[in-house]
Amino acid sequence: MKASCNWLRELVPQLEASPKDIAARFTAAGLEVEGIVEFGAATDSCVVARVVSMRPHPTKSGLRLVTVDRGGAQQELVCGAPNVPDPGGLVVLAPLGTHLPAKNMTIGKRAIAGVESEGMLCSEDELGLGDDHDGILVLPTGSAKPGDKLSAAFPLMRDTILEINLTPNRPDGLGHIGLAREIAALYDFPFALPVFGGSGTGTGTGEIGQLVTIEVRDPERCPHYGAAAVVDITIAPSPTTRYRLQSLGVRSISNVVDVTNLVMLAWGHPMHAFDLDRVRGNRIIVRRATEGEKLTTLDGIERTLVADDLLICDGEGPVALAGIMGGASSEIQPDTKRVLFEVAWFDPRSVRRTGRRHGMHTESSHRFERGVDPGDVAQVLEHAVAMTLSLAGGNAANHSMHVQGARIAGDPTPPARRAVTLRAHRLPDLLGVDVPFAEAVAILERLGCTVVSKNDKSCDVLVPTHRPDIGREVDLVEEVIRVRGMDAIPAELPAVRASRDVGGREELARRAREAAISVGLSEAITYGFTSARALEALSAPKPTVLLKNPLGEHHAVMRTSLLPGLLDAVANARRQSEYEVREFTVGPVFLQAKAGGDGLPDEQLRIGVVLAGERGGWLEKPQALDAWDAKGYAVAIAQRLGGTPAKVVAVPATREEAEVHAPHLHPRGAAFLEVDGRRIGSFGPLHPDAAEAFGLDVGVLVAEIDLEPFVTGPRLPQYATIPRFPAATRDVALVVKDEVRAGEVESAVRAAAGALAEGVQLFDRFVGGQIPAGSSSLAFHVVYRAADRTLTDAEVDAAHANVVKAVGDRFGATLR
Amino acid sequence: MGAETDPTATIDNELAALREAFLPRFRAATTEQALRDENAKILGKKGDLTRILAMLGKAPPEGRKAIGAKVNALKQEVEVGFETCLRDLRKAEREADLSAPPFDLTLPGRIPVALGHKHPISIVREEVVAVFRQLGFAVHDGPDIEHEANNFTLLGFPPDHPATDMQDSFWTKSNHLLRTHTSNIQIRAMTTLKPPMAFIAPGTVYRRDDDATHSPMFHQIEAFLIDACGRVTLAHLKGVLAEFAERLFGPNTPVRLRPSYFPFVEPGAEVDIGCVFCKQSDGTRAGCSICKHTGYIEVLGCGMIHPVVLENCKIDPDVWSGFALGMGLERIAMLRYGIPNIKLMFDNDPRFLAQF
Repeated sequence: MKASCNWLRELVPQLEASPKDIAARFTAAGLEVEGIVEFGAATDSCVVARVVSMRPHPTKSGLRLVTVDRGGAQQELVCGAPNVPDPGGLVVLAPLGTHLPAKNMTIGKRAIAGVESEGMLCSEDELGLGDDHDGILVLPTGSAKPGDKLSAAFPLMRDTILEINLTPNRPDGLGHIGLAREIAALYDFPFALPVFGGSGTGTGTGEIGQLVTIEVRDPERCPHYGAAAVVDITIAPSPTTRYRLQSLGVRSISNVVDVTNLVMLAWGHPMHAFDLDRVRGNRIIVRRATEGEKLTTLDGIERTLVADDLLICDGEGPVALAGIMGGASSEIQPDTKRVLFEVAWFDPRSVRRTGRRHGMHTESSHRFERGVDPGDVAQVLEHAVAMTLSLAGGNAANHSMHVQGARIAGDPTPPARRAVTLRAHRLPDLLGVDVPFAEAVAILERLGCTVVSKNDKSCDVLVPTHRPDIGREVDLVEEVIRVRGMDAIPAELPAVRASRDVGGREELARRAREAAISVGLSEAITYGFTSARALEALSAPKPTVLLKNPLGEHHAVMRTSLLPGLLDAVANARRQSEYEVREFTVGPVFLQAKAGGDGLPDEQLRIGVVLAGERGGWLEKPQALDAWDAKGYAVAIAQRLGGTPAKVVAVPATREEAEVHAPHLHPRGAAFLEVDGRRIGSFGPLHPDAAEAFGLDVGVLVAEIDLEPFVTGPRLPQYATIPRFPAATRDVALVVKDEVRAGEVESAVRAAAGALAEGVQLFDRFVGGQIPAGSSSLAFHVVYRAADRTLTDAEVDAAHANVVKAVGDRFGATLR
Repeated sequence: MGAETDPTATIDNELAALREAFLPRFRAATTEQALRDENAKILGKKGDLTRILAMLGKAPPEGRKAIGAKVNALKQEVEVGFETCLRDLRKAEREADLSAPPFDLTLPGRIPVALGHKHPISIVREEVVAVFRQLGFAVHDGPDIEHEANNFTLLGFPPDHPATDMQDSFWTKSNHLLRTHTSNIQIRAMTTLKPPMAFIAPGTVYRRDDDATHSPMFHQIEAFLIDACGRVTLAHLKGVLAEFAERLFGPNTPVRLRPSYFPFVEPGAEVDIGCVFCKQSDGTRAGCSICKHTGYIEVLGCGMIHPVVLENCKIDPDVWSGFALGMGLERIAMLRYGIPNIKLMFDNDPRFLAQF
């Protein structure tokens, strides 16, 4: 909402505060002023000038040399405008040195086609008064004297505009009268509504009932329809009031249309003007549309209506979408002679539904859907009529007509005002600050509430009809603190009676993040939605949550895997020529709702990992990350989350298993992650088909781990006695065929080494050299120890000899 | 030995010669091992002193005792000399080690595992949770996909009201919605637990906005406290906010409440903190384009829980009252770290993530 400071001062004459002060006061009261804009600043330095004579430019056609009288002095200027008036006409001169903010230019001495020109004759556009740049601004003859400062001669050309970001609960702020009332309350000034004289003071034109009949068939959605008429009007441009409109961002159209806009900007109550001669059958009918009925609105679009839409119709069909937009057929035309004004109250929900259905949002619907004042219909009509008579002449019909349900009368029945009780103790209870009750009640009265009864402990007030947002006691409490200011409230820490965590997933996610960063991964935040195609490319479960109104195909379903977002991150990075990506993301996947639940999808918290790039050593030759890196990260994260005692095992998948259970992984490197015997995820190189679908090459590794098994926290370690006796270590290097997997050899070594073997660790794998092709050498440390004595060499050698023999027998392994 | 010589004199001579010689011999050793070898040549089983002692038998018995004393005295001298030389040698070796050319520590450091980086949103999320945990709040989880009732209706959003414009929602084909705020947790807590309660609820939220300054998915944290009437007031809300601002944005960060409107609180307010971009060393704000020269920037919304919300959850607003506050984590992170564009947070560029 743009608010004119001048207009507000007209409505509250005591208001002397600067625009900046007013803005601060509004903001502190919840009407946030987001900007303060100077309108027509150039008019302070421009002057009125009278055309004295005119001659062609000596060399350039299209330019003229105009001599003007600027109040006592004459000067000649070069002017290119086609509309310089004849001698005697008034124009606007920007003298040398004038700054024109709208064009961000300062008038300097310059030669135009060889002729010096000191100053410029300005257009509306150049003055920042409007968007008319077809010619210079020509002022009405006799409206000012040459030499007058423009802003002094035409006060409406100069204003300060507040840009107010109104919350949707304050429809009263969408008009200057509402804002003025608010200012009066905030500054504790008296406030009186402007008075315009009754609209019934017609001049023998007759009763409005003789001009038009009005029938409201849906009194629920239109409980009040008011109308007034003015005849014998002359449609013309509005000469100066246009600047008020233009200062508020509304284009001036013609005097009568301008009236409807100015009245709306005054009261916040939209209204409509019909050309009465184009209202067929002289009838207005307010009714719901029939399914499929058509109406072409003023914006030229043909609307197909549904039965939920409320229409204004004439004797032959729809002429307006109630409260939103008129139709072309009955709009005000240059030849309009008789105007019918409509001021009504439409059900906000109905207006909003229709507006949204047809994708329409207008100044009118914006106000109606927030709830305009049901109590000001008569005054708004009076204002419109009075302004029309002054701008467009003519005669008003006797009386207005108010249709309220079955009641049709010249004066409306005022709407009932809501009664609300305020208990004194609620103020400190909610605000934590003592507000004298008398002061609180006085604030409510300033805001337009009527106190019906009052004692020390409570009071009953009637809420004004322009405040639909005040419905109960707490709303009154808010009004009190809003006007009083929240700065006065002290800051105190509450004595919190503690609660216990519910769900535990926040803590789980935090631990997962800790685990992942501790192994060097960085956190990505990925979207919950993805595309069905991305999930399909990864052979992820079919999405079960589909969006009805997605922003696009790429975000149309809720993910069933964390990997699409992570792979997008790799693809994004590659587009930036970044090849090192080691990221994880923690978040839910959205799976089929569990039976017997609340019907919502099963949101399973997971951690996803993506690795791409090289494993750098210390100044060594880097090597591409591979499946064993994926294993390392996956196992480390699971171990951190499961705690030291958790048994974390990576189980390689067979090709068949991979194709069924981890089809997004390269079958050669696919593996499952098990914790304490429970399968919780998978990892490995991305399947080349999937990589291709994401525009990636090979060499991307992924892991995805379900976090729910870790929700109870890591398993507690139990202290084990630290050995008192020394260990003896023996190494063994075994040459085995490549088909034999290292894990099997290690298990065999462990089994053969017997009870004295405390640990077996593979420390070297070697191929080439003297090792025959197709074989590799696996070297193990075997640590022997007894808990109760120092082992003798003989004991250790005996146990170790068994290792060599058993592994040799089983795998045909030979000592290297 | 030719002519008869005096064995006592011979021994004396030998001893005297050895006394003269042992120290230079020790000094000649440049390594500890050489020194020890030299020491063994003197004091060892086949050493010089042993050899001299062997001559004792030839000396007259009455003089043997005196010779023995001389031998022992020399032995002690040798031992002391050895220890001294050993100490000197070690000292020289240590000095040589210390004065050798320094390591080139401009070479890159070796790191066992370089720590990864949490996302700035997560850092802020965890810090806010920690602040509220210290104040006695517990964490309450909630789902991303929610019933309309929990997200809107029970929070007092009027049907067909422009207030819902503020939160344009994504709907699922089964008529649930992606929650538009974390305020659904208020409803979940109030409909399942009895007051008093104090919760903080971080989470992912979704709105149908995707432009330069909006992401269709973002994050919020909601905090709410419900207790007996009078135990939770706007003053307490202000106290908690001051604590939050101090912990997240530094000591003495000013906090300002501005009345505003959210359907589920009354009175409702927006919270401004002292601008973090034009803060001066003396704590004042110079004013800048980011705070539009007001010295304040908006960080969150809050208010006293609307009685209609309490009633919707079967909590008597004449007995209980509460406050709630909700903030966008992206905004807090952007303010804290000077991140200029929300979109940067969702690109997951490794060069971005590595900065936090």
